[in-house]
Amino acid sequence: MRKLGAVAATGAVLALALAAWTRQPPPPAQGGGTVSGKVKFTGTKPTMPKIDMTEEPKCKAKYQGVPTDETVVVNANGTLANVFVYVKSGLPASYTASAPAGPVTLDQDGCRYHPHVLGIQVGQTLAIKNSDGILHNIKAKAKANRPFNISQPTVMTSNKTFDKPEVMVALECNVHGWMHAWLAVLPHPFFGVSGADGSFTLKGLPPGTYTIEAWHEKYGTQTATVTVAGSETKTADFSFAAK
Amino acid sequence: MNLPSAIRRYAEHPFRQAVGILVLAYIVVVWVVPVLPGSAIVPKSVVLQYMVTVLVGVLIYVSDNEERWHRFKEPIQAVLVEPRLKLVRAAVLAGVTALVGLVAYGQVTTSVAAPPNLRSIHPAPPAEITFRGKAITLTGLENPLRQHTDSLAAYLAEGKRVYYQNCLPCHGDHLDGQGHFAPGFNPLPANFQDNGTIAQLTESFVFWRVAKGGPGLPREGTPWNSAMPVWEDFLTEREIWSVILFLYEQTGWKPRTWEKTEPGGGSRETGGGHD
Amino acid sequence: MIDVGAAVALIVMLPSPASRLPMQDTTRGKAVYVKWCAGCHGDTGAGDGVAAAHMLPRPRNFTGGLYKIRTTASGQLPTDADLLRAIDEGLPGSAMPGWKGRLSDAERRSVLAYIKTFSSFFADTSQHVVPLKFSSPPGGGTGADALKVGRQFYDSIGCRKCHGDQGRGDGPSAPTLKDDADFPIFAADLHQNWRFRGGGAVEDIYRRLRTGLDGTPMPSFADLIDQKFLTDQELWRLAQYVRSLSPAAPPEVRDVVHAPQIPGTVPASPDDSTWARVARYWFPLVGQVIHKSRWFAPAVSGVWVQAVHDGKRLALRVSWDDRTESPDTAWLKFEQRILQTVAGDDSGSPPPQAEPWPDQLAVQFPRRLPEGSGGMERPYFLMGGATDPVYQWRWISRPRHAFAGLARGIERFDTLPGAPAGQATYDRGEWRLVLTRALATPDTANEVQLEAGRAIPLAFFAWDGSSGEHGSRMAVSTWYFLALDRPTPPGVFISPVLAMLVTLGLGLVVVRRAQRRGGARHIS
Repeated sequence: MRKLGAVAATGAVLALALAAWTRQPPPPAQGGGTVSGKVKFTGTKPTMPKIDMTEEPKCKAKYQGVPTDETVVVNANGTLANVFVYVKSGLPASYTASAPAGPVTLDQDGCRYHPHVLGIQVGQTLAIKNSDGILHNIKAKAKANRPFNISQPTVMTSNKTFDKPEVMVALECNVHGWMHAWLAVLPHPFFGVSGADGSFTLKGLPPGTYTIEAWHEKYGTQTATVTVAGSETKTADFSFAAK
Repeated sequence: MNLPSAIRRYAEHPFRQAVGILVLAYIVVVWVVPVLPGSAIVPKSVVLQYMVTVLVGVLIYVSDNEERWHRFKEPIQAVLVEPRLKLVRAAVLAGVTALVGLVAYGQVTTSVAAPPNLRSIHPAPPAEITFRGKAITLTGLENPLRQHTDSLAAYLAEGKRVYYQNCLPCHGDHLDGQGHFAPGFNPLPANFQDNGTIAQLTESFVFWRVAKGGPGLPREGTPWNSAMPVWEDFLTEREIWSVILFLYEQTGWKPRTWEKTEPGGGSRETGGGHD
Repeated sequence: MIDVGAAVALIVMLPSPASRLPMQDTTRGKAVYVKWCAGCHGDTGAGDGVAAAHMLPRPRNFTGGLYKIRTTASGQLPTDADLLRAIDEGLPGSAMPGWKGRLSDAERRSVLAYIKTFSSFFADTSQHVVPLKFSSPPGGGTGADALKVGRQFYDSIGCRKCHGDQGRGDGPSAPTLKDDADFPIFAADLHQNWRFRGGGAVEDIYRRLRTGLDGTPMPSFADLIDQKFLTDQELWRLAQYVRSLSPAAPPEVRDVVHAPQIPGTVPASPDDSTWARVARYWFPLVGQVIHKSRWFAPAVSGVWVQAVHDGKRLALRVSWDDRTESPDTAWLKFEQRILQTVAGDDSGSPPPQAEPWPDQLAVQFPRRLPEGSGGMERPYFLMGGATDPVYQWRWISRPRHAFAGLARGIERFDTLPGAPAGQATYDRGEWRLVLTRALATPDTANEVQLEAGRAIPLAFFAWDGSSGEHGSRMAVSTWYFLALDRPTPPGVFISPVLAMLVTLGLGLVVVRRAQRRGGARHIS
């Protein structure tokens, strides 16, 4: 284990030297450190209210049973989904990241947002898609960015960008009071969302000491401090308790 | 062709002058007077009175001088006599007849109208009132808060709060009686910016009106219509005096004050007006 | 000494930098703001002044730089002209008055500059503020074809989800609506364009569709044009359709409801065809802010009244817009939020409990027609008093029935045995109620005897149960009048005809005499 770390460190040093030599900044996705972990959930799993979609037969038909609210989603393995984990601070002041060319898609399908929690980089395109073909309005209740509220009464996609970092921007549909999602706008690509197994991974971190924050819409935030050097992988687990 | 001189020649004729004066008078009374500050639309009966007065004046003017009177009658005579004005003659006859018919019809088919709402806007206040069981003599009473010059700012702030939380829906943001609920009431809420309300009153009078509200008005004040609440049910004595301070401060009016004529004896109102 | 003089001269001569001017503006603007605006909008511009809790909608919070009425795209800051319009004209349907004529031009402009300092967005030079270019309305906007196209898009783009099938703000999503500050918000009643915040003209409606009302659930429909889902002309048609739902001009308040006499018997049903031929009168209602517990957020802004009689019975039709057929449990949460948002007289104690209350309407008369002193005197307009009761017809939505009684103030109501007949229809956001009663009744001491040709005082009260209205929390009117018109007797035409004959005869005599004299003069 220690040997492996040493090899990794040597590799990282070599890579850095190479980078310095070619005067190219290291591409963030390759190399660099990784922080991964799981978000555990303790206590009694809360019962989420059922959503009555009688008014929208098109959406109702997309579900076998009665869909429930997605505020708290506890996975089968006892972990918590939809926790947004990101580097809150620790990046060098000189760090800059240009927005990826590709968009992040937020889909309105079955009168729900997919994904329910998502991140995007400053300047990156958020493609807001309506797959339902019925009227949705999408309102972004941004504070640091300018908010907006646009209507999508048919199958269509609208593109939006955000020019300031903001965690979190609440997204909602007023036609369907139960529809809400959370969007984080970050100046870097080091973020992830805990999935169906409760795990997350932040890749390509430059060496440094970081404050990692885990955010959940109901249970608030938790932070961890992680130091990464080279291309090592560090673990940061979080645990939220039922309230 | 000199246009002004042509107009002047045209206007020199006494008949045209008379018609011109009547038209001008009508325009002034009906359209100009209502836009003057502090005035309202002139009622039809008053318009008629004005027009009759103007007509009499015009007739005196044209008949004052023999030649003028003759020239004045010329066009009338022409309409009555000239064969070439036969059509005009017929039209005038028909028009006058129709007008008389219409007026007569309007007179006999009077539809039911709302009874006149005659009310005394500032009825005489009582000499003494009972405020939450405590007797307060209004005659000679000044706003007691004005003595505490060092606390005046605090009282004004309190008065402002009281006004915004209670008076604003009717008396309005600008204190001009045009709050968002004002259109629902008749009589309209008092306009404190007007020089005919608090500017003419003593603070003790305002205290009485605030404390006792619409139901506390004498009959001549039409208490059944007034939407002014009985504020002693909501506000303390100090809150009422504070809001009175605020009314004068915010509008810039000065209250009328009592002039002590004899020690311990009678007093009468004096002063009032704007800063 | 000379140096100082030179320095002063230098300072005076130096052109003052342009950046200084706004500073000067905001100092002056602050004084205006503190004096006239802070009571509602708060010292820090957060919309939390001392009066804020007594209003619904609440005063604008300036700190977010978020404004409903703009000419810019959704999410953009408003232009100065947009803000000045709101200051000048006010926001109809809210407590915001128009300040034009109340504050000077300079005062309004300087307060505008000051309001902008509450939000950092206005100082952020990266913000785009581009007023949209609006086309002008295509012609034929009031024709049936145009309105049909407008109605098609009203349905296809889902307006009815909030505004309801008939546009009265009663759509299925309406009870869940809230603004960005989580205050409850009503979907606009599209039949009352004089209460639209941004103005009721078709151009205003079109602009709101393009820009949306930021901070509210009303989105911008601009993307639909950009993505060719509908054309600009079709959006105009939608605006024209929405405009067509309101009367051509805001209703004028007239004092007297005239009830014409009709042949046959009076209609008992609110949907009888007779009503289409009878003039309707609008009476504004406002919050009951006179008696404890006061109510600052009346849900019913007015009633439309029609009346007819047949010589024996009177039929009075009252219709009003109401988003719910209360009691309606779907609106309980909304009602709860209203009761929590609007301040009342129960300060300190928790807000009143939300319950599924019914809708109610009261029509009030004096017990007897006023006699003497010009017929002016009548009982206290707010439900009479302990010694001077009023006679009222009341109607309640559940169990649906009408009854009559004497009110002695807001708290006391004693039912009388005789009741008017009541028939009501609830139709997609509107109540239509017809109350009928014999003109003359046996109980002449308590029940008003309705005489033709008299001005009969009447007043209205309305409660929307699903907006938390119950008891003293209601909308009220002042006294108005009802007049039962007599049919025009044929004798009425005699005197005008006589007068015309006399006039014509006299005229002819005058002409004849003038011509004879004139003719004689010509001969001599």
